[in-house]
Amino acid sequence: MEELIKYLPALPLVSAILTHLLSQNMGRAVSQISIGIATLTFVIAVVLFALNVSGAPNAVYSWGSNWGSMMFDPLSTLMAMVISGISLIVRVYSVRYMAEEAGYGRFFVLLDLMAASLILMVAAGDLIMLLVAWHLVGVILYFLLGHDNRSHSAFRYSFWTFITYRFGDVPMVIAAVLLFQATGSWSLNVIFDFVAQNPDATTYFGLSLTETVSSLIAVSAFARSAQFILHIWLPYTMEGPTPVSALMHAGIVNAGGIIINRFAPIFVHTNDILHWLFIVGLITAVIGSVLMLSQSDIKKALGYSTMGQMGFMIMEVGLGAFSLAIFHLIAHGLFKGTLFLSAGNVIGEARNNDGIPKDDLYTFIVERRSPKVRQPWLIMAMITLIVPVVVLFAAHYFVSADFIQKQGAIILLFFGWVTGAQLLFSTYSMRSSNPWRLIALIVFSFIVVVIGYTVISHAFDSFLYPDQQFGDQLYAAAGIDLGWFITLISVLAIIIIIGWLRVYYTHSTYANKSSKQSHVWMNFYALVSREFYMTDLFASLNRKLLALAAKLNVWFKWC
Amino acid sequence: MTNLMILLAAVFLPLFPMSMLFNAIMAKISQPYLRMALFVIWPQIGLLILASSQIDIPEWIIIWAAATAMFYAFRLTVIRDVGLWTSFLATSTWALLWIFSASAMAEQAIYIALTMSIPLVVLTLLAHALVTRYGAAYAGLFGGLAQNMPRFAGVLVITVLAATATPGFPNFFMMIKASVLSTPLLMVMLGLTWLLWSWSAARFIQGMIVGTEPENKQPDISLQATWLYAVVLVVLALAGSFFIGGLL
Repeated sequence: MEELIKYLPALPLVSAILTHLLSQNMGRAVSQISIGIATLTFVIAVVLFALNVSGAPNAVYSWGSNWGSMMFDPLSTLMAMVISGISLIVRVYSVRYMAEEAGYGRFFVLLDLMAASLILMVAAGDLIMLLVAWHLVGVILYFLLGHDNRSHSAFRYSFWTFITYRFGDVPMVIAAVLLFQATGSWSLNVIFDFVAQNPDATTYFGLSLTETVSSLIAVSAFARSAQFILHIWLPYTMEGPTPVSALMHAGIVNAGGIIINRFAPIFVHTNDILHWLFIVGLITAVIGSVLMLSQSDIKKALGYSTMGQMGFMIMEVGLGAFSLAIFHLIAHGLFKGTLFLSAGNVIGEARNNDGIPKDDLYTFIVERRSPKVRQPWLIMAMITLIVPVVVLFAAHYFVSADFIQKQGAIILLFFGWVTGAQLLFSTYSMRSSNPWRLIALIVFSFIVVVIGYTVISHAFDSFLYPDQQFGDQLYAAAGIDLGWFITLISVLAIIIIIGWLRVYYTHSTYANKSSKQSHVWMNFYALVSREFYMTDLFASLNRKLLALAAKLNVWFKWC
Repeated sequence: MTNLMILLAAVFLPLFPMSMLFNAIMAKISQPYLRMALFVIWPQIGLLILASSQIDIPEWIIIWAAATAMFYAFRLTVIRDVGLWTSFLATSTWALLWIFSASAMAEQAIYIALTMSIPLVVLTLLAHALVTRYGAAYAGLFGGLAQNMPRFAGVLVITVLAATATPGFPNFFMMIKASVLSTPLLMVMLGLTWLLWSWSAARFIQGMIVGTEPENKQPDISLQATWLYAVVLVVLALAGSFFIGGLL
């Protein structure tokens, strides 16, 4: 039964062929083939996942002798289930959404091919299969984003995605080749065994094999998951159909987190790479979030939001919380997919709305309703601080006596705290006629977020990395000196607290007053609104390179 | 004698600047069948010269070959003429055959070269089909082929992907194998060449198929011709996966 993983990518492939061959005769009804086979794929993926959860041992199933294998393990079954599930939803949504578009059959063919490539990517048992899938995802995404082949701009922006992906493929190929040269095998399991037995193996110029390969894989992951400065393709892909945006933001862009998890047995033997991942993830999360704030286009704002989330995902692996990154990408995939699919409805709603801002004055005068009460900011700020401290000490007394000493656990709580406080701030802005009920709901939601992070992280850890020792090694590889750790956490906590307090205070004090912005602030806003000039920089580089190529051709008389 | 043989081989397994000869010849030839024959025969002559002369290929030639491949791949990015695009791609691809000839894979290099040539041959036929319809085959000249000639556009896109080392096709496995046989510098050069091919392919595809339907509408290729092209491309993919892929 577990061997079905070997044939799982074949189902969408068959669907693609049938859809293509029958689209002439069946017309729009051809989408039913795609949906039928996608449902079957999802069911099989769920069965495989259930088998894995119920204790079926990990295995590799091969077609060929050197390469051509699929892996049955927690990461592959979990991700295959998520991918087949999300791609099924996207296909169901597309049946009506794409009904008026030209190339209806072609769209479903491409969706099927994408599903096959993604499943192949997460379940590849050897480096060649991984490279094939890794590369194909970029190619198919290029055509999906440029589905409207009348639109030059759609293809222009899908090209940005394609070329960034290809840029990320190069280090992946070099990493694969270095591993093959060191081990003589393409098999991932053989490679991981070799690295476990020879963690100090070296490659060219006496460089550490694990450090070199991990850095290359990290660069590849950065390109796929839109890390700063390889992020510009992501917010500019909105010319593609909305279901493609949903699929891309829900699944495809997560490849960075998946690939780092796949190579965890190599990353665990590195010294500094995870720290670099953390720094890149942190910068990406901050820049993505800042750029999101300046967007007025809902889909572009969601694009930058995804960039920020991908930054968080890479930060998590940089902290050693590999399984949490998988949870994060699944959770983000589900809500971002929903957001994109709903974006069309929101735009439609906005078009139907009269556009009059419904502020307090409007509701009081036009709707004859008195303004609802907003919570005092001090209470909200106190909740933000008290709940995590209570959870931390509760964990210390009820879960583990040395809980406070564990870097990984503290970091998880820190994430929970930041996320929970975001939730709190959002709800603080709400107005309610029953403030105490709202506060109770807020406290409850906050507790759910903080505890949920801890519990879910533990569940994912137990499933993906059941070897406790290996999990501890991952945290150890990401660990830093205790003194530095405490200093960093304290500084970050203080910055965040000051930020929140300032926001709460500004909202409560100056909510209805216009403020004069300083010159520095306006300059910063100009910088942000131009997206840090990154797109201009790449466009200029592109133009210069093409001009140089043209000049060379003229010099050499086009020979 | 050795130097002379290397020089001669450098004309047929194009090394810059000897590569200019091949491109100059191709620019003069408009007869499609002659072009197709040259695409098949030209690299085989080079491989034959190397095989018969039993030369130990020095390392600097391999780096020169990789540099030639990268140089032509870069210049390829702005080429609009389909015929010239095909011959530049051939120059860039065939230069990499030096890597195989310098290894223990000299015999297999003949078959690798053959599979490399097939997409070029198909592209030549497609260019001819365009010339007969529009009088010229330039990317960006008409555009909108996906609207006007969807079957032709489909075959063209897949052939361009095959020629620029998309997985499944022989050139993909050839690039992996060449990387395995390489040193770090060569690996990076190969990677950049691959990246430039993709850049060029995307620009080429965009110039040919994207856009609104042209006013000067032309008939699409026949269904039979489409099936024939499809069979060739499927056989090529199977050969890529099982034969060239089997060398990994």
